[in-house]
Amino acid sequence: MTSARNYYVVLFHSVTHAIKAEKVLKEAGVAAKAIPVPRHISSDCGVCLRCVGSQKEKIEQTLFEKVDFSRIAHL
Amino acid sequence: MKKTIDARGLSCPQPVILAKQAIEENERVVVIVDNVGAVENVRRLGSTMGREVTIDKKGEETFHIHLSGGPATNDSPGKTPDTPAEKQSNRHGSSYVVAIPSDTMGSGNDELGAILIKSFIHTLLQLERLPGKIIFYNTGVKLTAEGSDVIDDLKQMEELGVTILVCGTCTNFFEITDRVATGTISNMFEIAETMSQAERLVTP
Repeated sequence: MTSARNYYVVLFHSVTHAIKAEKVLKEAGVAAKAIPVPRHISSDCGVCLRCVGSQKEKIEQTLFEKVDFSRIAHL
Repeated sequence: MKKTIDARGLSCPQPVILAKQAIEENERVVVIVDNVGAVENVRRLGSTMGREVTIDKKGEETFHIHLSGGPATNDSPGKTPDTPAEKQSNRHGSSYVVAIPSDTMGSGNDELGAILIKSFIHTLLQLERLPGKIIFYNTGVKLTAEGSDVIDDLKQMEELGVTILVCGTCTNFFEITDRVATGTISNMFEIAETMSQAERLVTP
């Protein structure tokens, strides 16, 4: 893991939302990677989307009014 | 003594099986094959068995693979010597093998399964013990091709010493052989051998 990179994770209320968001972002050409929610963020067995810091705003804009997400956390 | 094996027209993994037998019994072997996949498989077999390998391209569909230097006299016949790569332990010395037969994990819902398999591969990388080898076959091979979301994870594992084997028959079937971006195109002989010799075989 390139920990030197500035990563964020977008967290969702459900796996269905995460899958939908992945699709929406892929169609919009925004880079985000589906990964399991890191244990230090939540112990839920969930999936989140990881992105680099520079993509954070773009992701918020792209998902706005399309897919609900709960929050974006620093990784 | 020199032995020549004409393996043209034979389907994978037949050339490898014939080559292995010939290499074990003869000091110098020439294997004639008609495709690049077979060249690669026989070449790898030769180096795994400690032979010197040279490849002579005779035509578009004719390759002569020269293997020399064997058989080693102090080895029991039929035994393939361990290569340093096989003995070499990666992160905490593990030798379990992961088999990935599909581009989804579990059955029931493929959309969910696609997310799960990606999560599984990403998580493998974070485990304290990495697998020694990962084998991809059937639709699983799609995960190793360009455009797959886990290429970066697989490349990192390769850098950490994990061997990634990709079923060549499968990439050929899906017509993605030239798009495989990580690992080595492999054959059923190597896949079956790896599975049968694994300390543990893990399938998600």
